[in-house]
Amino acid sequence: MVSAVEIKGLTKVYEDKTRALDGVDLSVETGKIFALLGPNGAGKTTLMRILTTQIKPTAGTAYVYGFDVVRNSAQVRESVGYVPQEMSVWTDITGFENLLIYAKLYDIPSPERSTIMRNALEDMGLTEFKDNLVKTYSGGMVRRLEIACALLIRPKILFLDEPTIGLDPSARKIVWERLTQFRREYGATVFFNTHYMDEADLYSDEIGIINKGKIVKSGSPDALKHSLGGEVIIFTLAGNATYKGIRDEIGKLAFVSDVLINDQELRVIVENAETALPEVMVVLRRGDVSVEKISLNKPNLDDVFLMYAGSKLDLDHGIREIRQVRSMIKRG
Amino acid sequence: MLVMIELELRRVRHDRTEIYTRAVQPILWIVVYGTIMSSIKAIPTNGIPYIDYITPGVLVQSTTMISIFYGLIMVWERESGILKKLYVTPTSRYATIIGRCMASGVRALFQVFIVVPVALLIGVRFILNPLYFILALLVILFASGGFAAISIIAATFMKTRERFMGIGQAIIMPLFFASNALYPVTMMPPIIRYFAAYNPMSYEVDAVRGLMISGDLTNLLLDIVGIAIFDLILFAIASANVRKIIE
Repeated sequence: MVSAVEIKGLTKVYEDKTRALDGVDLSVETGKIFALLGPNGAGKTTLMRILTTQIKPTAGTAYVYGFDVVRNSAQVRESVGYVPQEMSVWTDITGFENLLIYAKLYDIPSPERSTIMRNALEDMGLTEFKDNLVKTYSGGMVRRLEIACALLIRPKILFLDEPTIGLDPSARKIVWERLTQFRREYGATVFFNTHYMDEADLYSDEIGIINKGKIVKSGSPDALKHSLGGEVIIFTLAGNATYKGIRDEIGKLAFVSDVLINDQELRVIVENAETALPEVMVVLRRGDVSVEKISLNKPNLDDVFLMYAGSKLDLDHGIREIRQVRSMIKRG
Repeated sequence: MLVMIELELRRVRHDRTEIYTRAVQPILWIVVYGTIMSSIKAIPTNGIPYIDYITPGVLVQSTTMISIFYGLIMVWERESGILKKLYVTPTSRYATIIGRCMASGVRALFQVFIVVPVALLIGVRFILNPLYFILALLVILFASGGFAAISIIAATFMKTRERFMGIGQAIIMPLFFASNALYPVTMMPPIIRYFAAYNPMSYEVDAVRGLMISGDLTNLLLDIVGIAIFDLILFAIASANVRKIIE
């Protein structure tokens, strides 16, 4: 079976010499929900724009359902639905009219048009608001309308760039309920970019972690978590001293599979936390490190990310920016 | 292409403010400037009353204004994700751009239906031939489409709205003053006259004046050919530039 997305050695260098993608290899199976997880500037959007034929790669190849995104771009465009990160509907007309314009742009023959549009509105739970101006929609409704527009052609694959950015938790939940329902009904592939760890964890079948233009790790959420081994001991350290030496010392212990330090947090990944804890404490005492708090956890995606991307996701900054852009656009 | 025009009409239906506010200026030109200048009788107009003479010129200026600022919509659509999304539809990118130019032409036509009644009220005598009137509308439609293409090209270089507003004024005023909109080209100093000979607005004004007011159609064919060439060149440049807008 042909995979939904097949990427080999994909590289994109922008005119100003920014290396946005640096040899990406990736394969996404048909019918899966795939999450591309990474911090801002990791290359997520660039990758998606290449896959949706908006920009050309500098080197490497990318296929969407067997079609080359450069040579067969017309065929690719016929089989993909795409929702950009920014707001992509006209706010000065109604939701229904937005769908109508897109339906006509996609050349959907008029006998089928009204049924398809009705279904899209229903699928996204917008039927009762269809005749309101988009200006009056909430952020979540705008997102669902954008997705409805992308669903008009029953795409084989749906590309979503940060689908729930800037939405409140309940709106995010509704968007995802609708998306998973759509996937169940039509068996389409969903490829989304996100920097919400929990979103990737909850809704995706497969995650690719991208950092600095490279896919550093991919696999199902569970496999990724298991790849870290058993348990995580998190020490909250006191004071502002640096603990460089400590990190190496703990790393030397036989049962420790990894040690990560981030701000005042020391994360030690071990097979069995209960037996490991006393020994780690001995090392910490010897190094004169005072600990404020200790907690034991199963590894979550934060740990996975920290381990493979080497840094925590910087969330707040990006979200605030996007929120501003979206509200600015809404004001017109 | 027609879809883009439909989009424009649907927008106008929901929000007509732009049509009204943009009509204020041409009405002032005709009612105030026209009335005052016609009492001086300093400008040779071949026996046509001065207000009647400038009405087509002012009409063309106001429709061009709409088109020249059409690029603002493109700037806005780039800031939002609409352009990206349009780009990912199977529709030809060129058809989209040309469709948008013509959509702007349609929007511009609304000016005619405001300015003409006002001119009628203050006594401008139009030629009452529906065929001529329709032909004049077509001339305005296509010429405005060409000006919208200029605007879209400008939008590819101007990344912010503020800068775009400035460039819009900088394009439209020279076109207006170095044309036959307010006075015959023969009154101009040679350098400006030379410029006016290549000014698409002159051709548009000449055609509309002939069809609506003077009935003098000797240059009509030349005018139409001129506008057609203007459209072809600008549509080509705008389409070729479309990639740049996205990247």
